[in-house]
This record gives sequence, structure tokens and C-alpha cells, in this order.
Amino acid sequence: MTTPAPMLLLRASELAGRPVVTLGGELVAEVKDIIFERTGGRIAGFTLRNPGLFSRSRKDSLPWSGVHGVGRDAVMVSDETVLIAAKELAPRKQAHNADVLEDRVLTDNGQDLGRVVDVVLHSGTSLDVVGYEVQASEALGTAGRRVFIPLPDTVAVSGENLIVPATATEFVSEDLAGFGAAVGAFRARLREGAS
Amino acid sequence: MLFSQARKRDVVNTTTATRVARVDGFVVLPGPARVALLRLGKVSGVGTLLSWEDLQGFGPDAVTVASDTVIRPARDAVEQRAEDGDLEIMGKRVLTERGMELGPVTDVDFDPETGEVTSLITKTDAISGRRLVGLGGYAVVVSA
Repeated sequence: MTTPAPMLLLRASELAGRPVVTLGGELVAEVKDIIFERTGGRIAGFTLRNPGLFSRSRKDSLPWSGVHGVGRDAVMVSDETVLIAAKELAPRKQAHNADVLEDRVLTDNGQDLGRVVDVVLHSGTSLDVVGYEVQASEALGTAGRRVFIPLPDTVAVSGENLIVPATATEFVSEDLAGFGAAVGAFRARLREGAS
Repeated sequence: MLFSQARKRDVVNTTTATRVARVDGFVVLPGPARVALLRLGKVSGVGTLLSWEDLQGFGPDAVTVASDTVIRPARDAVEQRAEDGDLEIMGKRVLTERGMELGPVTDVDFDPETGEVTSLITKTDAISGRRLVGLGGYAVVVSA
């Protein structure tokens, strides 16, 4: 019935403050933070705050399983019953949007590519981490500029350093529009290498 | 017929041949998308709602009713919100179920015979009424 969604890439930072809206058109909350799964590069869900200028954090949260769709302008849910207690979503100290920011991206052959300034997400049937926006180091030809580095489809999103395969440097993009194709090409290369 | 053309139309009681109210707005409900109620102004009683089923006709010059008693107050919480204007579709932001905003509703096209909403009009699109998923205080949600 519905046409497949186009490849939609988003910066994680863009989702903070996005309204959470039911299919019935009611505003439920705003996204406060994005909670990443410890491994696998997926989103576990969102912590919430009440809408408005002097908004407060809420004790409930939105698990990924309750998300109907994530777009540039809103996070859609079927209704309010999909919300769960915040402590169920992130029971212990979890990998967290803010924890990845400022981390150093190292290739597996020991090159420092720069520091993470944002996380790039692909919104499809799930919301996946597909890359990092990095303040490029001297190792890249674009030192000082912000570039996008693709990630393999399985990666731990948190750690002291974020390790990426050295081939990732061949698929660096300078704009988000061209980055979707770069991620696809990079992952295809990795699969070839593995077989 | 467009909401913009149909607003301000007189509501006439055909039994007494008198003007009893004026159309101020429309309450649209999904599944299937239709005009469920009219919101009225210049009424003499307390209620300002008129169910589509209670209309005699939605004509080019006037809306007709057989009796004043069909003009009534809200019966439930949803109707109360509608009466308060919280569910007004005109000017409300359109969101797809994938979270993409399509701009505010600038007009609505409906069939005056049946009340069926045929399309939601924005500055750039005409969205089929069949795509209407929900209508709340914050947004009009349409299928992607």
C-alpha cells in the first residue's frame, strides 16, 4: 500500500527536540536524547521531555519498537501506550549520544581521522548508525573540515576510541547528500573482503 | 466545494424560513475522511455544533435544517475539543506517518452531497482525503 521510504539520513543531533506525535495527531513529548544499543550500531530508543521552553525530563521513554516512523520533522508513534519507563530502556550506564561525541576515530591501522562531532543515522525499518561526522584530522586531505566517515554495519558505538576499518577513508564524504551512496559502497567492499 | 467558499454560509431553518446560524468551521474525522460536524456562530442557544447527518442540505447559497433543535452542544470529549476549535483542520500542520512535514492545510475540498473530504490542500500539494490517518491538536497525519 505504501511506497518504500527513500534513503533518509539524519544527524543524531537533529533529533533532539523533535516532537513525538501520535498517528492521531497529538503531541506526546519531545525527544531529549538518543539511547544507542551497546553493540550493533542500532538505536534502543529515546528519552523524552515535555514540550516547551522550560521543559522537564520525563520518567517514561520511547523504545525503538514503539516507533512508527522517524522523519526530519517528527518521531511518529501509534499512540501513547508504546511508552515505557525510562529505566527499562536504559537499565544501566548505556552508550549515549553525548558519550560518542568528542571521541577519537582511529582506523584499524592506527590513523587518527579526527573527533566525532555528530552521529549519522539511517531511518528505514530500523534506525541505524551508519557513520560519524568528524572534524577531520591531518590524516585526511580535508583537515579541519567536517566530513562523514562510514561505519561497517556491526560496530560498537561507544569506547575510548572508535575503531573503523582503514578502507573507510576511501569512502569519506563531504556532504550528507552523497553520504548514503558512500555507506552502501563501503559496506559492499567490506562484504567482498570478508568472502 | 472548498471550506474557504463554504464558510460564513447561513444556516436556514426550512420550517420557519429563518436564518438560525452561520457556518464558522468544519470538524473533520478520519476513517473515512469526512465532515462530521459543522461549527456554528451567531446561534441563539448554547450549542454550536451541527452533525452532518442532521443537515437537510448543503447548498450553494445556504445550509438547511428542518429544525433548530439539531443545533446542540458537545456530547463527548472529542466533540468538546472540536467545539473549542482545538481540532480545527485549517492552518494545521500536515505530517506524514514517516515524520515529514508538508506544511499547513490551506483549504479542504469536500463533497457537499456526502460530506466526504476529497482532498487536503497545502501550498504545494493536494493530498487525497483517503490518506488521512488522524487529526489531533498538534497535526493532521497522512499516510506516506
